[in-house]
Amino acid sequence: MKKTAKLLIASAMTAVLALAGCAQTPSEPIVIGSQAYYSNEIIAEAYALVLEDAGYTVDRQFSLGQRDVYVPALLSGEVDLFPEYTGNLLQYFDATATATAADDVYSALTAALPAGLSALEMSGASDQDSYNVTANFAAQNNLTSIGDLAALTGLKLGGAPELAERPYGPTGLDSFYGVKVEFEATGDATVEALVAGLVNMANVYSADPRIQQLGLVTLADPLGLFLASNVVPIASDAVDQKARDLINKVSQAMTAQDLIAMNVRSVQEQLSPNQIAREWLFSKGLIK
Amino acid sequence: MEWFLKNIDFVLGLTTTHLWVSLIPLVLGSLLAVVLAKFIPRKLVASTNGLLSAVYAVPSLALFVTLPVLIGTSYLGPTNVIIALTIYVIASMFFSARDAFSQVPESANFIARAQGLNRWQHFIHVELPLAIPGLVAGFRVAAASTVSMASIGAVVGVRNLGYLFLDGFQRKIAEEVTAGLLAIFVIAIALDLLIWLIGRALTPWARKRAVSV
Amino acid sequence: MFSLADLWMWFAEPENWLGRYGLLNLLGEHLAISLSSILLASLLALPLGILIGHLGKGEALVVGLSSISRAIPTMGLLFALVMLLGIVNRELAVTLALAAIAVPPILAGAYSGISTIERSTKVAAIAQGMRPIQLIWHVELPLAASSIIGGLRIAFIQVVSTVVLAPLVGLGGLGFAIIQGLALRDFAQVTAGAIAIVLLTLFGNLVLGMLQQKTRLSTLRQIRAR
Repeated sequence: MKKTAKLLIASAMTAVLALAGCAQTPSEPIVIGSQAYYSNEIIAEAYALVLEDAGYTVDRQFSLGQRDVYVPALLSGEVDLFPEYTGNLLQYFDATATATAADDVYSALTAALPAGLSALEMSGASDQDSYNVTANFAAQNNLTSIGDLAALTGLKLGGAPELAERPYGPTGLDSFYGVKVEFEATGDATVEALVAGLVNMANVYSADPRIQQLGLVTLADPLGLFLASNVVPIASDAVDQKARDLINKVSQAMTAQDLIAMNVRSVQEQLSPNQIAREWLFSKGLIK
Repeated sequence: MEWFLKNIDFVLGLTTTHLWVSLIPLVLGSLLAVVLAKFIPRKLVASTNGLLSAVYAVPSLALFVTLPVLIGTSYLGPTNVIIALTIYVIASMFFSARDAFSQVPESANFIARAQGLNRWQHFIHVELPLAIPGLVAGFRVAAASTVSMASIGAVVGVRNLGYLFLDGFQRKIAEEVTAGLLAIFVIAIALDLLIWLIGRALTPWARKRAVSV
Repeated sequence: MFSLADLWMWFAEPENWLGRYGLLNLLGEHLAISLSSILLASLLALPLGILIGHLGKGEALVVGLSSISRAIPTMGLLFALVMLLGIVNRELAVTLALAAIAVPPILAGAYSGISTIERSTKVAAIAQGMRPIQLIWHVELPLAASSIIGGLRIAFIQVVSTVVLAPLVGLGGLGFAIIQGLALRDFAQVTAGAIAIVLLTLFGNLVLGMLQQKTRLSTLRQIRAR
């Protein structure tokens, strides 16, 4: 089954680009995956370009859906390299994790990763869950931190369906900050729902360019309800040391502002992930 | 137009995958459905009918995501989507195939038996040709639904034209969503036309009769 | 990873049945979204199908429309409509997207029900002095009822299994159980959601099937009585 599947993807995806019978490279290609999330795809593209620039053969298996789909694929060796987020991945492997600060989350993650997978150096760039309100709502109610919400009643929280059950969801809001909310699953249209006033507060990824574009206010989280979630490359044993060093350089170079700026280019200039990643790597001197 | 012109190669690549992921289930599922419809023991017809209409009611997204858990296929790659779509094609084609075979005139069967055709010859030379109009009609329905249903595979990681819906909706690029809609539409119409032409070519007698009426 | 016991446990847990996103409420929402889409589609497709069947013109339209609309991917249409109409009108967007898949079977059912009525029946009615409206109301509709319900039956099956996509744009229905279950790796919940949808479909199919049978019988009885 797996063989057929691989064969199918390979033939379908490369049919337009490559002719049958092209010279095979001696080494196995490094298979890079990404989530079905444009920002994640840009990071994966950056990994791919850096490796290709150094002479590696790369097989891009992008937009693989959610963790349920691709984590088993990482474990089985169908995918070798994947841009991930420390906090969310830690929760996937350990639902009861308590670490929240970036470094603690990273070390908890390295401990929680199954054999055969390793976390490379984490980046300063992060893309984590955060609670946001509109500028108007923040001004009216004098909001800067999540705790300020405790005084309000009738709050509606918007987010993906799974937020209802997450530790930082409605239950966590109450136990950490005494904030009582009614949960409203707003799916892929959470930011729109917030702006339209269907909900008062929403869970938005911190690198979402619309936070800046729409002037949303991200509420501070002094008690550490959310886990820090920095960009971290997850590699299988098939990725050699030289490749790891190259990817680590990408992580070191990527700042939080860089990631947001790339996301802004994606939604505003509507450029392809490949072009955005290539121009960023070039500006950092990581590719020629 | 700007987004589309810049990404035309990308859309073409997704279209290729989309075609693969739709055509394999269509061909495979139809063959299985025809065989099933023709050779199923009469005792099992009622229960197969029931089972297939229940299967038809399972939402595609649910089937895509539960297949690896249920039958142990790989999570990655189009296998799950292909299997799930094949099941839907079987469910849909089974009914049209049974209709098509039941409309073969009894006189034709009688003459065939009188000529001494064995069961296999009877099937190939008499029943199948006479059932073609019905089969083609069913196949056209299955083709259009499969091509549009395949796009939901993008939710579980099959990078076909459905990707344009998810990505376009996330990035608020209306043109990307529209491009996906149009591309699927064009594929479906082209496929429909192709099947219609093949059906016409396979039944020359039907055309002659139509003219004479 | 997943077993029948897990599924049983899921169903045995009262928390999974009650509340805003409990199975019962989701079922209600699922039914409400489905029925409003079918209603909207019927308002458009029934008169059109009856008219086309009555006039005996425009068969090409029915066939063309039904094959074209089958090729429209609901997910894409849904996203496009939400972007076009705005998130505030997401209910309308979902209803429209689903109505698009319900129109063709309803149209085809109405059209074929009326167009297959024997010509002699219509001629007899006209000879008795019936006006077109009377012909439609007293002759064509009763004779086509079974076929019309058959069209609604197919529409129901297709719509109920497609409402699953509604949570993608922030609406409920049983798709919530599936999409949330997927994200939480709760396959018992995913399966439970799918089972609920299949049961709902089979139930609707059964009810409409019985109704179809009943109209067929009563039409036969009326014919015999004459």
